Amino acid sequence: MVDAARQPLIEVKAYTEVEKVEGFVGNFKVTLREKAKYVRADRCNGCGACAKVCPIEVPNYFEMNLAPRKAAYIPMSQSVPLIYNIDMDACIHCYKCVEACGPLEAIDFSMQDKIVEEEIGAIVVATGFSHFDPTPMEEYGYNRYPNVITAMEMERLNNSAGPTAGSLIRPSDGKKPQKLAFINCVGSRDKRFVESCSNFCCMYSIKNAVLVKQMYPNIDVTIYYMDIRTPSKGYEEFYNRARAMGIHFIQGRPAMITEDSETHNLFIHTEDIALGKVVEHEYDMVMLNQAAVPQPDQNHMSSVLNVAQSPGGWFMEYHPKLRPMDSPTDGIFFAGACQGPKDIPASVAQGSAAAARASRVLHSKTWQIEPTIANVWPDRCVSAQGRACGICERSCPYGAIDYTQGKAAEVITAKCHGCGACVAECPHDAITQLHYTDAQILSQIRTLLADKPEKKILALRCHWCSYGGADLAGTSHFEYTSNERGIKVMCSARMDADFIYEAYRLGAGAVLYSGCHQQDCHYITGQVIGAKRAKRLETIFERMNMTPGRFRVEWISAAEGDKYARVLNEMQATLDAMPEADLLAEIERLRPEMAKRLSRLPNIPGVQRALDHTQVVVNTILSREGAQ
Amino acid sequence: MSDELNKKEEELRIGVYVCHCGSNIAGVIPPKEVVNFAAELPGVVRATDTLYACADSGQRLIKEDIKKYNLNRVVVSACSVRMHEPTFRGAVAEAGMNPFLMEMANIREQCTWAHGHDREGALAKAKDLTASAVAKVSFLQPLDMINVPVSKKAMVVGGGVAGISAALDLAEQNIPVVLVEKEPTIGGVMAQLNKTFPTMDCSI
Repeated sequence: MVDAARQPLIEVKAYTEVEKVEGFVGNFKVTLREKAKYVRADRCNGCGACAKVCPIEVPNYFEMNLAPRKAAYIPMSQSVPLIYNIDMDACIHCYKCVEACGPLEAIDFSMQDKIVEEEIGAIVVATGFSHFDPTPMEEYGYNRYPNVITAMEMERLNNSAGPTAGSLIRPSDGKKPQKLAFINCVGSRDKRFVESCSNFCCMYSIKNAVLVKQMYPNIDVTIYYMDIRTPSKGYEEFYNRARAMGIHFIQGRPAMITEDSETHNLFIHTEDIALGKVVEHEYDMVMLNQAAVPQPDQNHMSSVLNVAQSPGGWFMEYHPKLRPMDSPTDGIFFAGACQGPKDIPASVAQGSAAAARASRVLHSKTWQIEPTIANVWPDRCVSAQGRACGICERSCPYGAIDYTQGKAAEVITAKCHGCGACVAECPHDAITQLHYTDAQILSQIRTLLADKPEKKILALRCHWCSYGGADLAGTSHFEYTSNERGIKVMCSARMDADFIYEAYRLGAGAVLYSGCHQQDCHYITGQVIGAKRAKRLETIFERMNMTPGRFRVEWISAAEGDKYARVLNEMQATLDAMPEADLLAEIERLRPEMAKRLSRLPNIPGVQRALDHTQVVVNTILSREGAQ
Repeated sequence: MSDELNKKEEELRIGVYVCHCGSNIAGVIPPKEVVNFAAELPGVVRATDTLYACADSGQRLIKEDIKKYNLNRVVVSACSVRMHEPTFRGAVAEAGMNPFLMEMANIREQCTWAHGHDREGALAKAKDLTASAVAKVSFLQPLDMINVPVSKKAMVVGGGVAGISAALDLAEQNIPVVLVEKEPTIGGVMAQLNKTFPTMDCSI
């Protein structure tokens, strides 16, 4: 902490929130809100005179609310930076602090939140984790029995800098406890709350038990556990040391804690697996080792930073093994527990690793980004002919299109992120996307539906999320129908209505239209544009009396492999439920409708040539399939 | 090189590489059947299977073939683009081909791994996905990466033990860092802890 404050190249902005992140790798524009402290950083010397005279006391979050702080406060004596805060929610405006501060004049009640902007090349996200609140686990009586406390409360109670100056007392009567128990996996490895293992709690409860035993060798200490997990360096040895010190370990997940209402002593009821029977033991204090959970504002940060979340809510890495520090957005990296529960050595290591990943970008003068951007064919743009349009400009999430009536629209290369929204939205087919042209995608559709199209389910997926979801289905070996035929575009915004009409014209059994959830979109509002179009298509197909389920719109994240497999299997079931003759009749009935909507397709530059060539591919496939 | 390829665009010379991925793909479908199928597609002048396309030997095969068969397009039927697209783009670029003229067909994550108990269906799908990549690759244009400038300044969000570690490592490499913390002090959960395991040293 102190090193960070001393390092001249680190500017510590405490009491500051990230409001907005715009831009892209090498060129992020970050908006920060420096919250008003009502104490001027350039004048406060951290003497604490203001806190001494402040008459207001409120619970201190830093002490797990076990001790009070003043309305003029620092959370702890070693705070970095050492600048006091006035808590305006608690302050009664008596101005005693102003008086006590005297000639320094550091206290300034007129201060307001300040919005600042920073030009940033790379971002390391290290927003950490939070603790599971055991109150909903009624069987353990937390918040009902005074002597049931959490591990974090224990941290403060036996800490020499804590509210009791390190002397361990029990909350009900302030006496030193004689018999202590720790319960592991509280809320974790529990399907009702957090299914996963919280990684560090075994070591953490052993540590607290060892600390108590070192300080008070006569206290009887027991740890209740399901499994002891000590895989890292020096951990098993530490566990053995705890056993040698006389700490008891009982394997069993306690079912219930009851209390003697007079003594406030506690009874743990559990199965002792070693004995093979149900036991009951009395303690005068019990500590709950809570699960690690994502920060309460993790969802909000996920949309501010534009990074997706894994199951359980943690930030999702680009690849769990090969790129564990990278977010899927170029130039944004993760460190520590925001990506999943981690202990201190792992968090420090990840901090260094994320710094190394970020420094690749930051040490470069320039960085390369993909050229898969949009391009306008000026001769096809109706604006150049003097007509009013501007649909492309309105659909662009980045303001990357320069539209003036009378001139052909133009794409500003540096601003275009390549979502393809303008390409699919342009009613005159005057825009194309490099590497994802209509010609390329239509030729893929024709190839995939060459043989027995009525059996096939064409799946359009966005690059970042639903393609990843399909990958995860495979990686997890969630099996689904092999009649699925996938096509990848960068964003659901690129999923041109023409692609879907063409699929049905060719006789596709079903079509899946699938992208990210709205809050996960890599292109700000790309998904919104894609979703609106999907809604329009749903209405159109409903009016055509298409069998429900043959066109399906689903938002599937890269973490939802199970959902991808389930959706495809449900679509297969819809097809299986239709008599083949009915399906073929419906395809034939709708074919002219679809063809009508595609009449302008051959006019798009390159499309006719591509379709002619693809016909050769299709013929090759058919001749071969027929021969088999 | 791009201009040269543009001139040659009329005549497609596509190479198709079907990966076994050990038994990950070959344990479910016979890659040779996909190769035989792909070899007949228009524009394909070379089709072969390879035990591990991503291994040095696999990449070398592709690079050598680009020269030997004068290939101007490459299709790799293997794993996810999220896994190895950068690998194969790099490999073809080393052989002088524009990296955007390479396309992958995902016949592992999205085929053999998802249809392990439906070998026939998986084989039909692997062929279709390969054909679809061959179709797409036929219309690909050489593209150049866009170079953007980099602001030499980092932001670390969160002043806990991980954030402090990242900020220090960056600053010690002479990179200015803004360390943003929502609470009034940095330190995070670690600062609240008494001693830390397994060495029992102080946390601050």
